[in-house]
Amino acid sequence: MDEWKPNPTIKPHKKRSWYLAWKYKLMNQRALRKLCQTGAVLFLLVTVIVNIKLILDTRRAAYEEEEESAQDYDDEMLNVEVPRHPVSNKKVLDVEVYSSRSKVYVAVDGTTVLEDEAREQGRGIHVIVLNQATGHVMAKRVFDTYSPHEDEAMVLFLNMVARGRILIFTIKDEGSFHLKDTAKNVLKSLGSQVAPFLSWRDMWTFVGKKGGEVYGEKHAKSPALSTWGDPVLLKTEVHLTSVEDAECHWPDTELNHRRKRFCSKVEGYGSVCSCKDPTPIEFNPDPLKDNKVFDVPVAVIAGNRPNYLYRMLRSLLSAQGVNPQMITVFIDGYYEEPMDVVELFGLSGIQHTPISIKNARVSQHYKASLTATFNLFPDAKFAVVLEEDLDISVDFFSFLSQSIHLLEEDESLYCISAWNDQGYEHTAEDPSLLYRVETMPGLGWVLRKSLYKDELEPKWPTPEKLWDWDMWMRMPEQRRGRECIIPDVSRSYHFGIVGLNMNGYFHEAYFKKHKFNTVPNVQLKNVESLRKDAYETEIHRLLGEAEVLDHSKNPCEDSFVPDTEGKVYVMFIRMEQEADFTTWTQLAKCLHIWDLDVRGNHKGLWRLFRKKNHFLVVGVPASPYSSKKPSSVTPIYMEPPAKEEGAAAAVPAVAAAEQT
Amino acid sequence: MQKINKNVVLALLSLISLVFLLFQLYYYRFYLSHKNGAVFSKVRGIQPGQDSTRWHVVRKFLGLISSHNIPVYLIDPLILGLVDKDIEQIRSSPDGPSPECKYFCAPRDFTTFALLDKTWKHEVGLFRTAEKMGFQWLKIINKDPRLDGMDDLSGTEIPLHYIFKLASHAIHLVVFYERSGNYLWHGPLRLKQHMDRKFVPFRKLHFGRYPGAYEKPELLLVSIDDLKVQIPKNPSGFLEEMSHSRFLECRYREARAFFQLYPDDASLDAVEFRKKAKSLLHLAALTLNNLGVKFWLSSGTCLGWYRQCNVIPHSKDVDLGVFIRDYKADIIPAFQKAGLPLKHKFGKVEDSLELSFQGEDDVKLDIFFFYEEDDHIWNGGTQAKSGKKFKYLFPKFTLCWTEFVELKVHVPCETLQYVEANYGPDWKVPVKTWDWKSSPSNVQYNGVWPVDEWDDVIQIY
Repeated sequence: MDEWKPNPTIKPHKKRSWYLAWKYKLMNQRALRKLCQTGAVLFLLVTVIVNIKLILDTRRAAYEEEEESAQDYDDEMLNVEVPRHPVSNKKVLDVEVYSSRSKVYVAVDGTTVLEDEAREQGRGIHVIVLNQATGHVMAKRVFDTYSPHEDEAMVLFLNMVARGRILIFTIKDEGSFHLKDTAKNVLKSLGSQVAPFLSWRDMWTFVGKKGGEVYGEKHAKSPALSTWGDPVLLKTEVHLTSVEDAECHWPDTELNHRRKRFCSKVEGYGSVCSCKDPTPIEFNPDPLKDNKVFDVPVAVIAGNRPNYLYRMLRSLLSAQGVNPQMITVFIDGYYEEPMDVVELFGLSGIQHTPISIKNARVSQHYKASLTATFNLFPDAKFAVVLEEDLDISVDFFSFLSQSIHLLEEDESLYCISAWNDQGYEHTAEDPSLLYRVETMPGLGWVLRKSLYKDELEPKWPTPEKLWDWDMWMRMPEQRRGRECIIPDVSRSYHFGIVGLNMNGYFHEAYFKKHKFNTVPNVQLKNVESLRKDAYETEIHRLLGEAEVLDHSKNPCEDSFVPDTEGKVYVMFIRMEQEADFTTWTQLAKCLHIWDLDVRGNHKGLWRLFRKKNHFLVVGVPASPYSSKKPSSVTPIYMEPPAKEEGAAAAVPAVAAAEQT
Repeated sequence: MQKINKNVVLALLSLISLVFLLFQLYYYRFYLSHKNGAVFSKVRGIQPGQDSTRWHVVRKFLGLISSHNIPVYLIDPLILGLVDKDIEQIRSSPDGPSPECKYFCAPRDFTTFALLDKTWKHEVGLFRTAEKMGFQWLKIINKDPRLDGMDDLSGTEIPLHYIFKLASHAIHLVVFYERSGNYLWHGPLRLKQHMDRKFVPFRKLHFGRYPGAYEKPELLLVSIDDLKVQIPKNPSGFLEEMSHSRFLECRYREARAFFQLYPDDASLDAVEFRKKAKSLLHLAALTLNNLGVKFWLSSGTCLGWYRQCNVIPHSKDVDLGVFIRDYKADIIPAFQKAGLPLKHKFGKVEDSLELSFQGEDDVKLDIFFFYEEDDHIWNGGTQAKSGKKFKYLFPKFTLCWTEFVELKVHVPCETLQYVEANYGPDWKVPVKTWDWKSSPSNVQYNGVWPVDEWDDVIQIY
């Protein structure tokens, strides 16, 4: 400020020069000021721009932050939106049905839902059930009514279908030969005009609603015995109803939600879907006291036989001591209907991509299922293995609970099985009795984890080997002299008639008359004597008290065994060495028990019942029990019929794989 | 006039700039508070510090859970951290009423609980009740890793996480599954496309960024803040475990592709070797775990895990890595006690230590000790007959859990780099002839041991 003060001592003239200097200075300063001003303006502008940019940036950042807040957590799999079919409000379905000698097809709204032009199969009446509200296919069946009894199955099926469903019928090749009046009347009651007069090689198509209107029917008569009727094509329209009308009104519970989901998808399960008083899907059987198998996982091995699976799971869930949480159903393939059945019962199901073909496919499915079971239940020491075509006895878990400790403690045991290969109606008697056998029966059995993990899994047959898993397990390399525990009266029943190695004849001959325990809570009586050494003592005791039968008689005759009850008898057959089963096989044949390969033996000894007497068969001299034979007795020898030489080789191959 | 105008303009501009500055400041503050306060900043504004909302939500949740008999336990790291400080007191007075809400009122966005899958049925009733109580809930399901093995199985997806939200607080329920190898596993939290991304601030969850592996905890029933709740018996141990619990799933899909290219050796020899290698690995893991020595799968064993999810049948030994800082003198006697005699010992603790133990039937267990440098990690090798030293260099890595032959073991998290360092870019191609001195791509010549040290650094039994 000092410089700004005018100096009082200064002269005016001097003052002017100072002013000039000042003015000059000022002018300079003005330039400076201008400069400053422009600078300031620029600076401010820049600040403004920067500010605006900053605001925008933070804004965007904040926005992105929100957007991305969960990005790390996004599922990396891009959920490809499945293009959903627009919910069609269409009330009418176009249905096309074709029937001819070599081909049938059914198309609903242009979609082929059935097409069968394969040669040599699919003969008979094809039936399709549609949901009357959605038009979805709920069931597809073919009944070969050219053959006997198939018409009965058809009647049974049609009776199970709920009222209001749409039924489509078409014949391929021939469908009238064994179509009896009962079946024809059922078809007539559905509204068919032609059914009562269907005859040899007629072609026929029919679309109708169960208990309601008929949408169309076409028929072509066969002109002569040697020719077929002309192909017929029926085109018709079906009017859909509302969803509410198509559903039952069950109380709103969790169980009924499952039921509803199931019943709107599939047909042919009878009363489970009936609107009035449907059959329960939860069973709550009595719990077992001191249940040792409550925490043992149960693997149900299944294929695409949903009706079988339904029957099997019903019996399994009704068995005392069952723990539904431990049950896993393994389905070989991506089939929907078996999965629907599993979900109906609220169980967990796992689908398995099929690997390989035929027997190898089954075997790979077994391996995957067993591995998965022990993965899902890492604590488990055992697993129960069941198949979809078994009925399970009410005391199945009780039987296992009483015997499972043996499998844990006795190293010489291979498995516990619920199935006695030789336990037929006429050869099994005592539900409380157990045996040790050298063969592995399967059909409901318990597997030790260590056996699977340490021995079986690493060398399980690879997919290119078309082996049966059960035959492989029976091989000496795997079994290594160990034995299985089985009950005298089986705790499972094999009801499957269709299967990979199964047919009606085979089932009738070997499985139908199998004994099956229906008594609950059977107290097993000789559990401790099943340990390796104790069992020998037990056998010697039995043989000691056994009465030797009259070896001069024919063992096939009923009179071979006296008409007594509760006695122990023994017979001796010839058995030159360990693998000589010539006489045994003949004996098994005439006794009508399992004769396709050797089952149920223990050191050359077989135990069964005849006329309610315990009946022991000892192979002499191969069996160590031969010493019990009185010297006077000559072992019975039975010669195989000579002509079967050639066939004999082929038969075991069939027998081999029956358990599928 | 001009001057004044300019001044006015200047003043105006300054004003504008000031306004902007203020606005900026305000906006920044808003942004900051938004970032920290998350969704619940409003609540905090009303009740800073102490907040009983959280306590109420937790209490309601525990009520819901106990009404359905579902056993859960607390694994919230924040609360367990607080609990751990007073653990003695809490243990000694399990029923005492607490004067103040110390733990469950602590500020946080979530309270995390764990649930063991096998202890409950997946019932729908729980969620109905939860809704009635006012909870909003979210369920995160995904594939079941236990079925992800070598066979193509597809089961129903399993629940991995549940989030229950009430008012301003959320409960994160992590579902733990038991897996082969006797450990517990929880899955990653991944949202599917249709899910509500803003249901809760997912990033702040303590569990779910990665899958995790844990030991089965021992539980303790305690009463904290007047709520009865199960907690891990040793909270600090649990928190320590949590800090490095990250789990890597084996690459099953790639392994399947590998076996498509190079079919697996199914010969009896291979089966036998795998069996022996597996039992040797189990024995080694047991021994080292008992000593508290952290180890990981190294070399060929690691490659086998990474490439084919199995033991390489032609590898002939089992290789483990251990950080030299974890070295304990007891290792050798412990292995001898376990029935694995020392076969050779190369190097010394200060340099290139390597131990070999003789397993049954020629299967060898090699333990390599790793030395950490600033930018890399290395282990050493020694040629017995010449005393030559080798050095194998690896990029730095951390350790993750995985499951291998029914065992929970460590592998380097950065497995690919680790395997590539060791086996080069062609690690995907099986090689049957392998020379440990020249084949690895990370080997360096490292001089020769001085002859007078040979007795010490080259010991062969």
